[in-house]
Amino acid sequence: MGTDRIKNNRRKFFKTSAALIGGTIAYSLIKPLEVISQVEDKPKTTDNKELPLWGMAVDIESCVGCGKCAEACKIENNVPEEPFYFRTWVEQYTVKNDGEVKIESPNGGIGGLKQSVPDEDIFKSFMVPKLCNHCSEAPCVQACPVGATYISPDGVVLVDDSYCIGCSYCINACPYGARFMNPITEVADKCTFCYHRISEGLVPACVEVCPTDARIFGNLRDKKSDLVKFLQKNPTQVLKPHLNTHSRVFYNGLSSEVR
Amino acid sequence: MPKIIFRLFLSFVLFVSIFVLIQRFLTPDSFGKYGHYRAYSIDDNKARVSYYKGEEKCASCHEDIFDLKDSDLHSEVKCESCHAPKIDANTDCEVMPPIVEGTIDFCGTCHAINLGRLKKGAPQLNFKEHKEGQNCIECHNAHAPWELTE
Repeated sequence: MGTDRIKNNRRKFFKTSAALIGGTIAYSLIKPLEVISQVEDKPKTTDNKELPLWGMAVDIESCVGCGKCAEACKIENNVPEEPFYFRTWVEQYTVKNDGEVKIESPNGGIGGLKQSVPDEDIFKSFMVPKLCNHCSEAPCVQACPVGATYISPDGVVLVDDSYCIGCSYCINACPYGARFMNPITEVADKCTFCYHRISEGLVPACVEVCPTDARIFGNLRDKKSDLVKFLQKNPTQVLKPHLNTHSRVFYNGLSSEVR
Repeated sequence: MPKIIFRLFLSFVLFVSIFVLIQRFLTPDSFGKYGHYRAYSIDDNKARVSYYKGEEKCASCHEDIFDLKDSDLHSEVKCESCHAPKIDANTDCEVMPPIVEGTIDFCGTCHAINLGRLKKGAPQLNFKEHKEGQNCIECHNAHAPWELTE
């Protein structure tokens, strides 16, 4: 009597477990249910080794802060002329003798940066061009609720103008302040490495006009490219490395003051 | 199976299939081809017009000026660094040549004294002391500023 009850219970237990396991497997196999389960573990699209992987190096030691890059970017990409819309801009960092750091970027550096601190108070001063860092683990892409911003197969963070709903979550998510709301299109706007140019074999407009070659653009997979040579020659850093964004814009001569 | 469970199950199946159906209609073409985005958007981003044409294009007509500029100190300075195109790339540059007046303000974007650029090669001038604010191209050749015109 007692053994029978145990046997029956055991049988029931096995039946239930088998049904549960079988159900789980079936659930994961049925295709339409994928949308509910949200189980997706595809390889990254940038893993295709045949495509280029675009990146940029910025040489702070050569930048003279003329602002030609910021100006060229605005012309090339129809960015509004008002001084608070920039895809790329140049900042001047001035470390004073008392240790205070002054950061200024009037009109994004367009028209040339001018030093506002008297020379005798300056400990050191340098210019830092800024742009979208084209992160491999981009916070803006994660924040977008509709999939309107993404990392293209060749490693450029792009915006889908026609699909963006203009919620500006990505603008808040970007730790580099590289995004802005375009007042004309009313969608998020950002540096695309001049995607229309690089896919035709040209360099981005900012790289084209730089009079001191402070910006080096190229394919990170091409070991003979100027960019890879520059990265091998100089000790470079990325901005905000503690955020693990794995950005593809590398700075040479970056001081700890730069934020 | 009790009736109520059957009804519950039926409504669940109905809900899921309606959801899947609506999602299929609302998802734009090519969404999800490479990832969680519209793959056609890559082509949209490629399709824009480029304004800056590059030095080779300028040099194809203005070879003499290009060679003069390229022969010395300003070889790294591109044509379009100073002559920003204010025209569509598809129109001919002869229709509206970009003209620059070589003034102190213009040359000063690189050469006005600023401690941040002092060690970087570009000569730094205090324009008040240097010829007392005279226009740069009165003395310097605009395309070869290391040469004096007079």
